[in-house]
Amino acid sequence: MSLEICDITKSFGGFRALDGVRLTIETDALFGIIGPNGAGKSTLFSVISGFVAADAGEVRLNGNRIDALSPPQRARAGMLRTFQVPREFSHLTVRENLMASAPDQTGESLLGLFFRPGQVRTEEAAIAETVERTMAFLKLDKVADVPSGKLSGGQKKLLELGRALMVQPKLILLDEPFAGVNPVLIGEIMERIKELNARGIGFVIIEHDLEALTRLVPRLAVMDRGKVLAEGAPAAVLEDPVVREAYLGGVS
Amino acid sequence: MEAYLVAIGIIALIYVLLSLGLTLQYGLTGLINFGHVGFFAIGAYTSALLVMNGAPFIVGFAGAALLAGIAAWPIGLVSLRLRDDYFAIVTLGFSEVVRIILTSERWLTNGVQGIPGIPRLYSDLGGAAGQIATFATILAVTVAAAWMIRRIAGSPFGRIIEAIRDNEEAVQALGKDPPRFKIQVLVVGAALAGIAGAFYAHYITYIVPEQYIPLVTFYVWMAIIMGGVGRVSGAVIGSVILMAFLEGSRFIRDVVPWISEVDMASVRIGLVGLLLILFIIYRPQGLMGDYTKR
Amino acid sequence: MFYAQLFVNGLFQGLVIGLAALSITLVFGIARFPNAATGDSMTLGAYAALAAHKASGSFIVAGLGAASATGIVLLLAYWSVFRKLAGRSVVALLVASIGIAFLLRAVLGVAFGHGQQVFQIPLARPYIFGGLRILPLDLQMALVALVTLIAVFGLLYLTAIGRQMRAVADNRDLARVSGIRPGRVMVALWLLAGAVAGIAGMMLGMKTIVTPEFGWEMLLPAFTAAILGGIGSPVGAVVAGLILGAMQEFSTPFVGFTYKIAIAFLIMLAVLLVRPRGLFGRVEGVR
Repeated sequence: MSLEICDITKSFGGFRALDGVRLTIETDALFGIIGPNGAGKSTLFSVISGFVAADAGEVRLNGNRIDALSPPQRARAGMLRTFQVPREFSHLTVRENLMASAPDQTGESLLGLFFRPGQVRTEEAAIAETVERTMAFLKLDKVADVPSGKLSGGQKKLLELGRALMVQPKLILLDEPFAGVNPVLIGEIMERIKELNARGIGFVIIEHDLEALTRLVPRLAVMDRGKVLAEGAPAAVLEDPVVREAYLGGVS
Repeated sequence: MEAYLVAIGIIALIYVLLSLGLTLQYGLTGLINFGHVGFFAIGAYTSALLVMNGAPFIVGFAGAALLAGIAAWPIGLVSLRLRDDYFAIVTLGFSEVVRIILTSERWLTNGVQGIPGIPRLYSDLGGAAGQIATFATILAVTVAAAWMIRRIAGSPFGRIIEAIRDNEEAVQALGKDPPRFKIQVLVVGAALAGIAGAFYAHYITYIVPEQYIPLVTFYVWMAIIMGGVGRVSGAVIGSVILMAFLEGSRFIRDVVPWISEVDMASVRIGLVGLLLILFIIYRPQGLMGDYTKR
Repeated sequence: MFYAQLFVNGLFQGLVIGLAALSITLVFGIARFPNAATGDSMTLGAYAALAAHKASGSFIVAGLGAASATGIVLLLAYWSVFRKLAGRSVVALLVASIGIAFLLRAVLGVAFGHGQQVFQIPLARPYIFGGLRILPLDLQMALVALVTLIAVFGLLYLTAIGRQMRAVADNRDLARVSGIRPGRVMVALWLLAGAVAGIAGMMLGMKTIVTPEFGWEMLLPAFTAAILGGIGSPVGAVVAGLILGAMQEFSTPFVGFTYKIAIAFLIMLAVLLVRPRGLFGRVEGVR
């Protein structure tokens, strides 16, 4: 079971954001991607999740090409993503955000809503229970009824993770989950990710914070200017002379 | 005086119905429907023609809702996958084309001459009693529509359309297809406009294509922007203010009689334009507060 | 022959649509919203040209009057309204542009009355080219359009401000980072978009009868041409305007004169369904 990214290329105008990216990631892994700003990390996520069409190359999930699938179809295939700048449903409360994320609700169609009210009530009760558990797991229960637009940056990141969890994912693509989050909460989020991974959910994590990432993932890739420079265990990758040259610059 | 108030009340409720449709579409879902009057027109002509050809009122009203809803379907299919502003252009164009069809297909609509002598509701009750019965009926329908929209807003469906309004890409990232939801909203809002059109036709008894110009769409926009976007109470308050504005601008001619009828129409359009601009710039949340103030 | 004649007539019609679409596509590309006031701006241009023509008897003066009056009014609209809505959602700008459209129409209606007005143009015998009848007026108007297009494209592609406008249209963030001041670009944009709409309005007025509502009717064909050409593509807008003009003329023998605008709408739907980025547009723009 794996996510294969084969020779993905993408340009915006004259700017080559991705240049022949090639990666294979096990879907139950904890995998990190680091790189400076503009390295193409977020663009890569957008291509994998279907929000941006690649100019060339293929994306495969468990051996099947998914390039032709829409973003919702890819999510329904078990591959969820979060966004670098959190995209909470700002006028909905934390609880409503999570309830809205549950898949396949009868009450999601107007016909179901008005003609199968009993079914809708039963499902709502079940979803509410899952939401309570998710909020407790992510320590969001104290802000359950706060409009999500009013949350702190870190809480929004947690909420994005929570929404993805509601969809019963196999693999979650996390875009900078620690950016703008206070250190205490970073530790918290990392613990949650490890727990979830132990339960079989895979993570691909884009991160700026090298130190945080190396504590979390057993394996990572370094990107710069649209290319993968190196891939492997953190210690080995960070010793790679090409990586030191390109990413770490003069720092020794 | 009583008769005048009832008459004003009926027209105001028709605007409330139209505003409720737009509240569902724009206020809750974020759909920029600039062609509301097109669905209103379809409703008016459908019910008028059905009832004048012998159908009972209930069939006329059902036909109005159905046809307006069906007309919304292809519009949604084409444009709901694209950016919001494309939808605005397409719906605006749609309402203009509806008016062209009403003008051109004389065999059906009698063209620019319009259709006179449309039967009134409760005409057998006679003048005043019939008026009041009409008012009561439209009030009941409006209350039911308001209840339905409240119900939708508080439902699983409502959570998702509000999520779409707040961030459409995030909804896609959760595995849900926004166009599927938007099209249902579009159709329901259009059906409400169709019912409003049917009430209008059977109340004023005479319909012509010129009644269905884009200005009417923006009367409704003005109402929900003034009242407060995304709230049932906003739609009601906004429609009342709109009605006061429309009636008030008729009285201006009693005060300044030298203004001609056509100039008065210009002044009215200008005021609508000015109010839209001022509210959008200085008070986008409307008078009642919009969904950001919950 | 009949169809060749329709084709030629359509091309002349298409010039008006193309100019209106050019105004729309410039605003759409740079200020990022469909300017619903474009139609009524054309009406303003037509009345300005009428007044200037009455005063001077010269069509050149009329054209300059139309261009400058409309350019200045749209610049004022930018300063007083659109600039205040920077950073707000597209619907705010759209509703505001509808507001501007209504205000313009109201002021023109009160100022110039609701009667029909026409340009005093001496009647002239049409030229015959290989069996095709072409009115001298049409040729003069084609010349006006050509001069306008040369001026616009010269400005866009040969001047510093034009390069900056195209850079902002391409990528606003990138443009800001590279030191382009968006304020100046916006002033240039609205003057230019207004001038082009004004000229288009004058041309339309010379072909038909001027009323306070007549520009609004052009909004749908103009939007269609802007979409068909690809939003943000000036060349596309003009080319699509010509295509649309010809298609509208071709269709009249089959569907009748009244359905011209409906044809534009059907073409718009077809383009959005099959190729939403239009002939010359980019994919990123439409989703």
